[in-house]
Amino acid sequence: MAGASPLERIWPVIALWALLLVIVALAELFGGGILNRVVTDALVKVVVVVGLYIFVGNSGVMSFGSISFMAIGAYASVWQTCCPKLKPINMSGLPDFLRYNTFDLFPSAVSSVVFATILAAIIGFPIMRLSGIAASIATFAVLAIVNVVYGNWDRVTLGTNSVVGIPRYVDMWVALGCAAITIAAAYAYQCSRSGRSLRAARQDEVAAKAVGVNVPRERLIAWTISAAFIGLGGVLYAHNIGVITINNFYLDMTFITLAMLVIGGMKSLAGAVIGVVALATLQELLRQVELGFVVGGLSIKSPPGVQEVVIGIVMLLILVLRPGGLTGGREFSWPSPKRRPRS
Amino acid sequence: MILDVERLEVRYGRLPAVRDISINVAAGEIVCVVGPNGAGKSTTMLAIAGELTPSRGRLLFEGGPLAGRSSEDTARLGISLVPEGRRIFGTLTVEENLRVASYIRRDRDAAAKDLESLLDRFPILKERFRSPAGRLSGGEQQILAIARGMLTRPKLMLVDEPSLGLAPKNVDLVYELLRSLREAGMTLLIVEQNLDRVMDVADRVYVMRDGRVQLSGTVVALKGSAELEAAYFGFDRGAA
Repeated sequence: MAGASPLERIWPVIALWALLLVIVALAELFGGGILNRVVTDALVKVVVVVGLYIFVGNSGVMSFGSISFMAIGAYASVWQTCCPKLKPINMSGLPDFLRYNTFDLFPSAVSSVVFATILAAIIGFPIMRLSGIAASIATFAVLAIVNVVYGNWDRVTLGTNSVVGIPRYVDMWVALGCAAITIAAAYAYQCSRSGRSLRAARQDEVAAKAVGVNVPRERLIAWTISAAFIGLGGVLYAHNIGVITINNFYLDMTFITLAMLVIGGMKSLAGAVIGVVALATLQELLRQVELGFVVGGLSIKSPPGVQEVVIGIVMLLILVLRPGGLTGGREFSWPSPKRRPRS
Repeated sequence: MILDVERLEVRYGRLPAVRDISINVAAGEIVCVVGPNGAGKSTTMLAIAGELTPSRGRLLFEGGPLAGRSSEDTARLGISLVPEGRRIFGTLTVEENLRVASYIRRDRDAAAKDLESLLDRFPILKERFRSPAGRLSGGEQQILAIARGMLTRPKLMLVDEPSLGLAPKNVDLVYELLRSLREAGMTLLIVEQNLDRVMDVADRVYVMRDGRVQLSGTVVALKGSAELEAAYFGFDRGAA
C-alpha cells in the first residue's frame, strides 16, 4: 500500500496554520489597532466557520441554525464572567451561584463550550434523523427558537438589550491559538471513521447505508462536535468585542458565515478558512468604501448596505461560476514535483 | 438456505412492482435474477437489502426475518449490496471508499489484512489508492464497488446490474471478477439484464417479467433452451 509520511498526512493543517500565522505576523508587524481588530475578528470567524464546516461540509446538510450555539456559548460565558455588580440586579433570573459569583475566564470558557455541546446533542437527536431540506428547515427553527427565547428572557439575557462590560481577553494570538486548535480538530474529525463515513453518506446515502453506515448517528456526532467549536466561537466573540446582544447571533451572522463557507468551498477545510480570509478582506475593503475615501481630490463614499449587496453578488457569482467555491473542494496538497510524461 | 424470499410483494404507492415471487439462495451458490427492464429485479434486490419495505411476503436470512430492518442493519447481518450504477463515493479516495466499508467489522486486524489482500488482487486499486474514486473508469469503479462489498465480509452479496453502462471490455473484467468470487465460495445473488453473461457464472437462474417469476431452474437445465428465451422475451410458446 502506498504510504504517506506523517508530515504529508497533516500537511493540509500545517498549510492553513502557516497561512494564518503569516497574516497575524504581518498584522503584528505592520498593522495598527484597526487591522489587529479586523484580524482578530476574522480569526474568531475562522473558529465559527470551521466549526460550521465540520457539520455542513462533511454531511452536506445545510445548517441555518448552528449560530444558535454561538449565542449559547457567548451568553453562558457572560453569565460566569461578567459584571459582578450589575448581574445581581439586571440578571435576577440567573441561579444564585451565577448571579452572585464571578468565575475565572478559562474554566468559564470550557464550561460554556460544554453547555453548548450538551444542548446541541439534545437538540440534534431528533433533527439528525431528517435529511435534505427538511433537516435544513429544522435547523432554521432552532435558530428562531433560540433567538426568541434569549430575546425575551429579560431577567437572564437582558432580552434584546446589549450586555456590556464583558471582560476582553481575546487578542489576535488567543484567537489564532483557538483557530489552530479548531482547524486541527476539524481535520482529525474528517479523517476519522465517523468523518469518512459521513462524507460517504454525503456523496451517496443509499450506498453508505449498504456498507453499514448509520447516517443519523454520524450526523449527530458531527453536529455535536460542530456545535462545540461554534460555541467556542461565541465565547471568543463575546470576549473580543466586550458587548453582545442576541441579535449579534441571528440572520446576519448566519448569512455571513454561510457565505464564507460557500465562497471558500464547503466541501473542504481549506475552503472554510480561505472563505473567511477572502470575505473578511472584502468586508474590510467595503467598510472602508462605506466610510468614504478621497482619490485625487474626489471624495468617494458608497451608500450604506453596500457590503451585504456586494457579498450577496459575490456569493451568487461563485455559486454560478464555481460551485465548488474558491478551493473547488480541495485541500492544500503536499508540494510534490510534477510527474514527467512517460516515454 | 441462506436466503428465502417467500411470496414477496413490493409496491410503489398503489402500483405493484413485484408480485408474489419466491426466490431462495443456498450458501456458496450463485443465483441470478434476469429479465428485461422494468421486470422488478432491482426492486426485489432493494427489498432484500432493506431499502424498500415489502407490502406482503416474508424475507428470511439464515432463518431469521429481515422485514422491518434498516439497510444498515441488514448490512450488519452480513448482506452486502453492490448497487446499480456502481455508486462509489466519487469525491472520496479509493482508500477511503474501502476503509468506510471495513468500518462495519469489529475484527480490525483481519479487516486490514483483507484490505491488503484485496489490493494485491486488484492492482489498479492499489495504483490509484490515493486518487479520488470518481476518476476511475467505469469498469474500475465497478471493481471498486464489488471490492467495497467484499470488505464487509458478507455472508451474501447482492450485485445489482454489474454490467450496466460498461464497455464490453469492462464487462469482461467484471465477470472475470464474479467468476473468481464463485471459485472463492462466496454466495452471490446477481440481478442482470444480460442473459448470456449470467449463464457463464450462475448455478441457478430466475427469469422475471412484469413483476413475476416466469421461470426458474439450474443453468445446466436451462442454458440454450427455447423455454428460457420465451420466458425472458415474453413469447407466446403456443403461437409458434
